[in-house]
Amino acid sequence: MNQPRILIFACRWCGLIGADAAGKKRIALPTPFRVIPVECAALVETDAIIRALADGVDGVAVLGCHIGGCRYNNANHTAIKRMELLKDLLDTTGIGGNRLMFSFGTAHEDYQFEEVIKNFFDELGPLPSLGPWLSPSGVIR
Amino acid sequence: MGPNFIKTICPYCGTGCGLLIEVRDGVAVATRPDREHPVSRGSLCIKGWSAHEFIHHPDRLTAPLLRKGDTFQKIPWDEAIPMAASKLRETAAQYGGDAIGGLSSAKCTNEENYLFQKLIRTAFKTNNVDHCARLCHAPTTVAMAQTLGSGAMTNSISDLAGAECILAIGSNTAESHPIIMGEIYTAVDRGAALIVVDPRETAVTRNAKIHLRIQPGTDIPLLCGMMRHIIDEGLHNEEFIGARMEGFEELRAFLQSWPVSRAADECGIDEGLIRDVANRYATAKESAIIYCMGITQHACGTANVLAICDLAMLCGHVGTEHSGIYPLRGQNNVQGACDMGALPNVYPGYQDVSDPAMQDKFQKAWGGELSDMPGLTVTEIIGRAGKDIRAAYIMAENPALSDPDVNHVLESLKALDFLIVQDIFLTETAQFAHLIFPSSCFAEKSGTFTNTERRFQLLRKAVDPPGSAKEDLEILCLLGNALGLDFSYTNPAEVMDEIASLVPAYGGIRFDRLEREGLQWPCPDLEHPGTPYLHKGRFTRGKGLFVIPEYTPPKELPDEQYPYYLSTGRMFAHYHTGTMTRRSPFLNRELDEAYAEINPEDAAHLNVKEGDRIKVTTRRGDMITTARITNRVSKNCIFAPFHFTEARANRLTNPVLDPRSKIPEFKVCAADVRKEPQDGER
Amino acid sequence: MLETTKNMARQILDEKKADGILGLMKGQWDIIQPHVFENPAELDNLVLEPKWLLAKLAMRVLRSSSENYTLAVICRGCDERALIELIKRNQIEEKTLLTIGIACSQEQAALCLCDRPYPAKLDAGEAVSGVDPLEDERVRALLIGNDTQRMEKWADMLRRCIKCYGCRNSCPICICEPCKLEDEVWVQRGTVPAEMIPFHLIRAFHLSDTCVACGACQEACPVNIPLLWLQFSMRKTLRERYGYEAGLDTETKSPVLSSAFEKPDSDREYPAWIHSLRERDGS
Repeated sequence: MNQPRILIFACRWCGLIGADAAGKKRIALPTPFRVIPVECAALVETDAIIRALADGVDGVAVLGCHIGGCRYNNANHTAIKRMELLKDLLDTTGIGGNRLMFSFGTAHEDYQFEEVIKNFFDELGPLPSLGPWLSPSGVIR
Repeated sequence: MGPNFIKTICPYCGTGCGLLIEVRDGVAVATRPDREHPVSRGSLCIKGWSAHEFIHHPDRLTAPLLRKGDTFQKIPWDEAIPMAASKLRETAAQYGGDAIGGLSSAKCTNEENYLFQKLIRTAFKTNNVDHCARLCHAPTTVAMAQTLGSGAMTNSISDLAGAECILAIGSNTAESHPIIMGEIYTAVDRGAALIVVDPRETAVTRNAKIHLRIQPGTDIPLLCGMMRHIIDEGLHNEEFIGARMEGFEELRAFLQSWPVSRAADECGIDEGLIRDVANRYATAKESAIIYCMGITQHACGTANVLAICDLAMLCGHVGTEHSGIYPLRGQNNVQGACDMGALPNVYPGYQDVSDPAMQDKFQKAWGGELSDMPGLTVTEIIGRAGKDIRAAYIMAENPALSDPDVNHVLESLKALDFLIVQDIFLTETAQFAHLIFPSSCFAEKSGTFTNTERRFQLLRKAVDPPGSAKEDLEILCLLGNALGLDFSYTNPAEVMDEIASLVPAYGGIRFDRLEREGLQWPCPDLEHPGTPYLHKGRFTRGKGLFVIPEYTPPKELPDEQYPYYLSTGRMFAHYHTGTMTRRSPFLNRELDEAYAEINPEDAAHLNVKEGDRIKVTTRRGDMITTARITNRVSKNCIFAPFHFTEARANRLTNPVLDPRSKIPEFKVCAADVRKEPQDGER
Repeated sequence: MLETTKNMARQILDEKKADGILGLMKGQWDIIQPHVFENPAELDNLVLEPKWLLAKLAMRVLRSSSENYTLAVICRGCDERALIELIKRNQIEEKTLLTIGIACSQEQAALCLCDRPYPAKLDAGEAVSGVDPLEDERVRALLIGNDTQRMEKWADMLRRCIKCYGCRNSCPICICEPCKLEDEVWVQRGTVPAEMIPFHLIRAFHLSDTCVACGACQEACPVNIPLLWLQFSMRKTLRERYGYEAGLDTETKSPVLSSAFEKPDSDREYPAWIHSLRERDGS
């Protein structure tokens, strides 16, 4: 893939801080991406990740607080097992579990955010596009 | 008390899937698939899964209705039947029996269809009886009868799974006959090549090996080009032709005018591709051709079917277990309605009305005199309403949505002196009736349907009809008796016994033989196990006949004023005029808004976004609908499903008819499209 | 096995332990279909073949019956597990349900690719070992190996989907009303093929920890999509990491309902941060 499109769910206590900081510094990032702020990483529905992939997003990153640092009573822990299983399903279908990236507490500084995105971009690069899976009926949503 | 599971047959399409209706306390509450059914084997399509939903809808007609000015008043049966009988008799007395027209129903059972045509023929000495096959597979019955001697699907549905090459022409099988699509995919999984011919992209074309995206209405050029290539390359089956065919030399001479290059030009398809497809079809061990409305609903529909038959017979691909010609019939019992003679030119079993021997046979069997003049078709009966036709009896048909040029249809219906409509809901057609008979749906009666593979299948009664609605059989008997006929049948099995005695091909059909898996006709005697595929060894007419398919382009092509091609057809979530499906909550959750498919380039040019209101206009009328932007239609082409009463696609369609089979050209006409002011705009 | 089952069923009705028995009846003309036997005499016509999944029917029967209606279900292993999952989810009241457990033959297990072709409460028949689905060649071809090829193969198969909802309708665990698959926000309405990613992945993922591998989904699919196989690797993960299998008993809750640091887990070390799950697993 040339320019993988990345969707980032960033929890506003950690990940969003890094994203904002990177934005303010106008750090150049290699790929089109969009950040959606969420209260907590645990609120990200797996269905939303699936829908994003169907809408042409190539990779989804969920940025949360570090283990032990969640403001909402360790809610970030509850999301881990769900994400693992979704990874399994994505792997089964050949779509690829590495399109889903889940990061705890590694993106609350601007350079960290930049690194996380760049790493994700590198991982997604060699993957084929999801073309065969998209808009199968030809009706544009 | 636990529920009961009643095993019966789906009321929607011609596949004839088996289903189990779950009944609790006299109410049909769910539909389950039937694992044991020979065709559906535990699957159903979205409509099949919802088959129970409309049964107890509050709109169901529960009592006979008499028109009083602009409203309807409930009247009891013992008033309604005599009134109907006397009005019809008056009309016949004043204008002659040929002033009566009867529209029978492809949704009703075989027994009901048989009695309907018997009533019209014996009470009024006319052959003005027809049904919606006229709008659907009339070309099939005419053309296949001429070439093969029998107008029905040559093989069984499950035979498709064994074909090596499947040529699907003008059929959106994945949406119109989903369970049959499953058989095609089984064949593909076994290595078969699926080749699809369709001006549109559909789920079928997206899953095909080769998609021939021809210009609308150019099927004959394509098929003739293929045949010319096959003969030139010596790929035709000489042995088969020599032993079993007539008319080859005429066909060969005719095909001189169809070099592949000419075919390629007319269709807009690369010549090499036509040759490739022809090679695949001809050289495969067993090849099947399936076709549907894209072939029949043209002003040259009969010739289209002739071309298909010619191609199949040219390659010897008829008369073996998997090779054959598979017209996919639309309605659940349109095959049966045709078989039972609800047609203006034949008695039950396709026995000619103008054949003196047949007239004699049926006069003896039914008593009284019969007319030997072929009667009028559906479009003619409606078209001549108020002129030659003064009274009509319409059983479970909805021409106000399904016939072409609906604006004229509505005028015609108004012009009738007397109209009786028998149906389960107050349809758009029933709005014009003088008298309405409330009847029963598939779950409220016993009887038989015949699916597209000629299989007689038994219905079982699951619930009672609502209020004082009656089974159609009972209504026909009451009316028949009131007209002085002897319609003393007490149950459908008796009717089937009579049918079996009059039609040799159904001689072995009895209800008790149908209980498990049904029987495929021909089934001439009580020991016969039914016939999975036809024309083995010899054709029904003896030798097969090659008939020249004359090409005529569509009658109304785009021009300056109307620059778009308009095509109409089906989509998966609703069925035909929507009488049943638009009252099914599950199906409405899937889709409850009319739409028309428009190409992205055209949409951009018209400044139309997804979901915008657009107005589609033709010389017949106009329709406001919602835009669905997609590449499924080519540039300058529009496709509109005809299921939606609020956006009646048939206001737009061209009533020009195929001269031989009288089918309207639903698939091609010229239209204009404009963006409409959106809600809230001015 | 048939006689044992009939006797048990008769006894249950005679002793009024249940109001009805849900099983298969072979009626007149040898027609086989599901039936709720309420009259012991009818049990003469009970049959156990073919495999006809009854868990969903059982739930419907109980839902639409009076509160104290008790149903006995003649169930194979997968049916029993489905019923247990329904009990866990409060869709069936445990005290209104009895089971008569029957074992499947090895041939049936091979057809279903089933590794547990017997119910926990086995009343008739001999349990056999079943087969491991992940040893099957066709399954391996679709689940393991070259990603790009598999992606295209799955896409090709799922593109056949005619949106009959048969998979969802026949799945005993799919009970949500309203169903997300019918919601425009998640899945495009009124188009065929159904949008493959949202329809099929949402459906498969919602079942991740409840699927009992009964195969009802793919049996109902008219276009032969091997829908059951979508679940295999998730079930394997649940078994290997958490020792969990859906439907084995009514007490054990799904591990996905607890956080990564609560039981049950596999006693793995989660680092303070988890960058990419795949990277962490080294796969």
